[in-house]
Amino acid sequence: MGVQLQESSLPPRIKVGEALDLFSSFYSDPLDSQELLESLGIDKKRNSIFKRLSGGQKQRLSIALALIGNPKIAILDELTTGLDPEARRETWELIERIRDRGVTVILVTHYMDEAEWLCDRVALINHGKVIAMDTPTALASRWSGAIHMEFLPSAPVADDVLLALPGVASVEHRGRRIVVAGEGDLTTRVLNALMKEGVGTSDIRVKTGNLEDAFVRLTQKNDKYPKREVTLK
Amino acid sequence: MSTQSSDPSAQRSSKPFWELVKIQGKLALREPYSLIFGVALPVFLLAVFSLVPAFWEPLPGTTLTVFEIYIPILMVLILIMIGLLGLPISLVRDREIGWLRRISTTPVLPSKLLAAQVTINTILAVVGFVILGAGSVLIFRVRSQFDVVGFVLSLVLTTAVMFSLGLAVAALAPSQGAATGITMGLLYPMLFFAGVYVPMQMLPDSLQTISGFTPAGAAVKALGDAMQGNFPSVVSLVVMAVYALLLGYIAIRYFKWE
Repeated sequence: MGVQLQESSLPPRIKVGEALDLFSSFYSDPLDSQELLESLGIDKKRNSIFKRLSGGQKQRLSIALALIGNPKIAILDELTTGLDPEARRETWELIERIRDRGVTVILVTHYMDEAEWLCDRVALINHGKVIAMDTPTALASRWSGAIHMEFLPSAPVADDVLLALPGVASVEHRGRRIVVAGEGDLTTRVLNALMKEGVGTSDIRVKTGNLEDAFVRLTQKNDKYPKREVTLK
Repeated sequence: MSTQSSDPSAQRSSKPFWELVKIQGKLALREPYSLIFGVALPVFLLAVFSLVPAFWEPLPGTTLTVFEIYIPILMVLILIMIGLLGLPISLVRDREIGWLRRISTTPVLPSKLLAAQVTINTILAVVGFVILGAGSVLIFRVRSQFDVVGFVLSLVLTTAVMFSLGLAVAALAPSQGAATGITMGLLYPMLFFAGVYVPMQMLPDSLQTISGFTPAGAAVKALGDAMQGNFPSVVSLVVMAVYALLLGYIAIRYFKWE
């Protein structure tokens, strides 16, 4: 098992290569450190000291240290917190490559987009308890709740027409725009109904629930304490 | 979360330890607290003393030159600087940044890192002693009638007491700032009782007696006795042993890895 810790750093003046060689001496069957550095794209930083590395490079080194022991399972904690968007994307690619090598990655994160993008299975943890576990898609569709459809009608539409449709929960007006909230095959039903009424629509926006909505709902249901998500690949 | 049980081969091997010593040694050269205060400062003092004519003269009321009085004081100074200053500050730093915790997630016990730190600092102290010894013999032509057994015993006890003091500070200090504060609070009284400012021989008997019961004072006295060919007084040795055991206990009992 390899571990990468959230708030853990290295002595400021240790060199990348030294840290890796040190950790490699801790394990009986370590990976080749040069290959690992190359695959993480930091082989040119081998002789740089830790404090001169950028945030992304520090994270890469941290991942390298978690992987040098050739583990079957790697726990990566809050890996992309504090990284700029580009470094974050690169880290994601990296995690995908690690997974493709057959390592089971347990990723701890607060970012739902990260979990949605990377994880095969997601476990939501609230207050130390797993409150839901499934694939990201299944969690999102089950728990994210309402679909919101917003459009600009070519003529006024009576609320009753829309409210009569199955699955529609509410209708709101925002200026001339209408927002319909509900579940199921909402978009098709609303569009069909409007066509029957002879009303045209433009500028349609549909917002379906994502993992983030599911997360908020699930945790609010339990309580309001700080929450955290562990995701499994 | 460590994998001690799943990887016993790495546990048994001494390779991780020597690798840690190697890395800590390199770091000690790049962050040279112990090197500057423990080795460079005594060497600097030695050089300065050699330029002051008074140090070549016998101290009134004794048969020893002022420099001969200062040799054990400088030896204890080396150990105070390395044990009390260098050791806890780097250990608390390593703990604060999570380096100790990081090591504890590997199959290697973090106590090996501690042992490696102590080893490196011991090596630095030995370097300091060798330079001091060479300087004493070559520059000051000191010809001591060593009591070898008493001298080695005193030196080992002094090292033990200063290092366990440093480790106890590292164990009790919650942060780097606190470690520096505690260290500074202890440093100046220790330097005084060691006789760095004024050798104890020149102070009133009452102060000499008190000094004899402090770790630094007992150390200087024991080393001084041994260098004049006498076996150190049992009181000095017992005082150091008691401090070393007590402080060592505190260090082991209260040391936190994170």
